[in-house]
Amino acid sequence: MSAFNLGWHIMKERLLAGRMLVIWPLLAMFILFSSWGLSDPKANLPTGLVIDSAYDVMFASTAFIIFSATMGAVLISFDGISRDRLSGVLEVKLSQPIQRSVYARALLIGHWCAIFVPVLILNLIGLVIIWYRMNELPSLEELFIHTLATGLLLLWYTSIQLLASSWAKDMGASIAVGLGIWMLFTLLWLVLTTLAAGLLGVGVENLNSTEYIRIEAIMDLFSPNGVYHHLLEMPLSDTDRGISPLTTSIAAVLWSILPLYLFIRRTERMLP
Amino acid sequence: METSLTLKGVSWRHKVRDASSWKPWAKKDGPGIHSIDLEIQKGTILGLIGPNGAGKTTLMRAICGLYDCEGFDKSCTSRRTGIGYMPEQIRWEGRVSVRSSLQTISLMRDEDIDLDGIIETVGLSSKSEHFLDDLSQGMRQRLSLACALIGEPKILVMDEPLNGLDPLAQRAFCNLLKSLSSKGVAVVISSHQVSDLESFVDRIALLHHGQLLAEGTLPSIRQNLGLKDSAGIVEMICSVTGIEPEDVSLELSNDDLLPFKQHGGEEE
Repeated sequence: MSAFNLGWHIMKERLLAGRMLVIWPLLAMFILFSSWGLSDPKANLPTGLVIDSAYDVMFASTAFIIFSATMGAVLISFDGISRDRLSGVLEVKLSQPIQRSVYARALLIGHWCAIFVPVLILNLIGLVIIWYRMNELPSLEELFIHTLATGLLLLWYTSIQLLASSWAKDMGASIAVGLGIWMLFTLLWLVLTTLAAGLLGVGVENLNSTEYIRIEAIMDLFSPNGVYHHLLEMPLSDTDRGISPLTTSIAAVLWSILPLYLFIRRTERMLP
Repeated sequence: METSLTLKGVSWRHKVRDASSWKPWAKKDGPGIHSIDLEIQKGTILGLIGPNGAGKTTLMRAICGLYDCEGFDKSCTSRRTGIGYMPEQIRWEGRVSVRSSLQTISLMRDEDIDLDGIIETVGLSSKSEHFLDDLSQGMRQRLSLACALIGEPKILVMDEPLNGLDPLAQRAFCNLLKSLSSKGVAVVISSHQVSDLESFVDRIALLHHGQLLAEGTLPSIRQNLGLKDSAGIVEMICSVTGIEPEDVSLELSNDDLLPFKQHGGEEE
């Protein structure tokens, strides 16, 4: 009995679930279309972002990954535990001779793989599109960092959502918590950042000012999406927001450990 | 007779919302089970009986290691290896096949499992590739039974297993339990189908207000409670709750019928 075997089985079940009929096309549209559109040499981005390499395309398309893949992680994991609890299956599972921490890790592996595998496949197809359009591929280092960062981002959202699912007494509460957290980090974080900047006396009329960018970079360390972007910025030579790679790495490790620890602890104390 | 499991002073209190506190998350000790001493013997069928809220399900969950009871903590995976648990009325659902659901459970055990044999035993061979959503209630009960049989347990703990089964399936189910018990499996069962229970249990444990009031064979309990030889389980419950059988009403489920202190348990 190992967390990996059980996790692999959970992943297969999740990949065959009905909701994947919605998640697959959504991911495909966001990831593949963004790779196609952003690798167009005539593309004129509203933010003034200059795209002149394959990695730039991958970097820019992560905005779409943040919208689609993280939502996919929430949609796949929201009933990871709450459904079993409501149906009574959790009683059967918790009465099995498996250590709760191993079961928690298996749940995490299964649900994380169920979203990471499709994203990885689509990213690889996106890479082919970029190569076809630009006749250029990112370096292996860039590809590694992009894949690692995407995997970590999905791991963070999966563990947060599974934690919510283990707390919630019903599936509605579970998805409400998951969506709330997704909205906070994906949509509302900018508001919190400007609020923090305002409180610190930094003018928010110019979002490109050095002071504001510095505060935004610090605030980003407290958000999974922000740490994701910090990680992705590491290979970019022309981007420096004042956060060292070491700080980014520590933030990534903390984001990996903390929700995971809370989820395992919660699973160990969980009652059916 | 050889003992499969000994329970000594097992207690557990559920946490319930404390309505007297302004904090919405405040909890207080609620009902539970109190200092249960019980020996589960190899090859016997033990029937747990008692009115609603007596603590039958709580005791079963405690036996299966779902609660951190005193001397009985849930981290003890070795004890759980020998126990198969069938909770009351699981709503198996989803676009997952019967076989896949059983595979999930079998992967939680560190042993090779003959899933086909178990599926055949519970009569689900023709449905093994069906989705859970397509199963009838009776089939879902069979699937729950199959989960309990995974790993050839030495103790089977079954909460209301006859619910949702048609009379023929109930008979087959009882026959299966008798056959398992003759092979040395200890069975702990609770059921509201009292007439069926009387016909095949070897021993009875009578619970009320979370306390074990009597345990033994049917004749010995009748004798202890001063009941006639013809008295059945309903009469036993009536005897300990102080209700005349002809006055039985839904109030029987009321937890306040019998104060704890009358039976030496702790007072709420």
